[in-house]
Amino acid sequence: MSTKAKFLKLVSQYSKTSLDQLSGNARFREDLDFSSLDFMSFLGELEDEFDVELEQDKIIQIRTIDEALSMIQELQEVG
Amino acid sequence: MKKYPLTAAQNMHYQWIRKYGTQQVSGLSIVASLQADLDFTLLEKCIRMEIKRYSCMRVQFTKPDSNGHIKQYISSAGTYEIPLKDLSDMTMEEADKTMQSWAYKTIDGDDIPMFEIFMVKLPEGYRGFFLHMDHRLIDSCGVVVMTNDIMSLYTHFKFGSEMPEDLADFEEVLLKDLSKTKNEKRFQRDKNFWDNILDKLGEPIYSDIQGPLTLDRARRKHNNPNLRAADIELKDLFVAVEDYKLDPDSSQTLYNFCQNNQISMTNLLLLGMRTYLSKVNNGQTDISIQNFISRRSTQDEWTSGGSRTIMFPCRTKISPNTDFLSAAQEIQDMQNQIYLHSNYDPQLIYDEIKKRYHTPDNTTYESCYLTYQPLTAKMDNPYLKDIPMHSKWFANGAATKKMYLTVSHTEDGGMNFSYHYQTADLNEKHVELFNYYLMRIIFRGVEQPNLTVGEIMAAV
Repeated sequence: MSTKAKFLKLVSQYSKTSLDQLSGNARFREDLDFSSLDFMSFLGELEDEFDVELEQDKIIQIRTIDEALSMIQELQEVG
Repeated sequence: MKKYPLTAAQNMHYQWIRKYGTQQVSGLSIVASLQADLDFTLLEKCIRMEIKRYSCMRVQFTKPDSNGHIKQYISSAGTYEIPLKDLSDMTMEEADKTMQSWAYKTIDGDDIPMFEIFMVKLPEGYRGFFLHMDHRLIDSCGVVVMTNDIMSLYTHFKFGSEMPEDLADFEEVLLKDLSKTKNEKRFQRDKNFWDNILDKLGEPIYSDIQGPLTLDRARRKHNNPNLRAADIELKDLFVAVEDYKLDPDSSQTLYNFCQNNQISMTNLLLLGMRTYLSKVNNGQTDISIQNFISRRSTQDEWTSGGSRTIMFPCRTKISPNTDFLSAAQEIQDMQNQIYLHSNYDPQLIYDEIKKRYHTPDNTTYESCYLTYQPLTAKMDNPYLKDIPMHSKWFANGAATKKMYLTVSHTEDGGMNFSYHYQTADLNEKHVELFNYYLMRIIFRGVEQPNLTVGEIMAAV
């Protein structure tokens, strides 16, 4: 499964939204109704799933699905 | 039958049972009833189906090994007694008192069912069920899911509503949780986070809702004037409960503040509590409060049952010159970090503290515990929405915590502040005073978020 597919599957699980309803510019908090706990747990899951370590100052800038996916892909390329 | 170790959340309850010597500390009880002529034969059928569907109900524990460790397994859906108890001749107050006495009972033994469930006939025509369960099998979110599922089954068979969807498999979610604890990188990241707090701030220091006298007493008892932890009550665990309501308009003021400033209600409450503790402890800036979080984010985590509530210390060192809003953001930053590292077993935090600072046995750094619980035990079922209901959580009667505040929403849009406190040290006046100042601090801060924490402490 590609990074994007795995990533979207996780978003779908955490947002309780089906894959075909997800759009890249959906915002985690405002559109997908993530609580702080949901969002931070989701980030932890991303770290585990993609074997990356997220930087704290970058985490707070993430608002949308596309931004989070780009960050994971960048970290994978660096790693 | 496969046997599994306990998760960190389950182990937290198990360690309390061992420390306090009674399973009573792990009891969780509710009644859920409707003012309707429920068909008890059908209700019993639905409860039996639920025991099969919601496999966390069938979790049992093995006998402790020589090290005191136990394992869990999911027993087959055998036969369970579901008696009908008739309390309809009593007043509701008397009926509640009787159910409260059931909530005090312990479920003792190995390899036995860890719950009991009764169907109840209550006064004023209320009918429903009473559940008494070990907290290692379920938490409050899990109870709400279970209650709704039973009633969804009932309305399916009674009124032809849709059959509720299957609930997530407890065993699968358990396996996923256990595999996370074995992830070395994750473990190391979590450990580093918690160790870094100690590197940065040093040993925590106790703050009591009655002020410095409890810590002073512990210092004298241990003959150590520099002791930073206070003794916990191990013998007299009796708990009393006081509830204080906040009206809908005032509650709305708090919701608006949270929404406008992107601060969660939990963090606003933590700030109010820590400001009170600082005020009554001579302006102490280093305050730790235990905050319970319910680790349920995915659909599977929401519907698999189990005990996913776990507590972590929210420790902040906030200068009195910090304005209220910045202080709230500081707490929020800390809490977000804690959420990211909430796979960690909190017992390991205290093991590390003990290793570093030689904290005496049976002492603590925290006197206050918080749960913000927006969910109610209300049955969320369109077929039942206009039927009056009587639902209630019952205290287990044995507190492991000096003061445990549960904040929940009420059906009229207000909030309920429910204080469970150990009567060995506290009385109603202490709790009333705490709640009074908590409200004054929070509302002063919400109205004037530019005031500093020090100014608010002085003003209230």
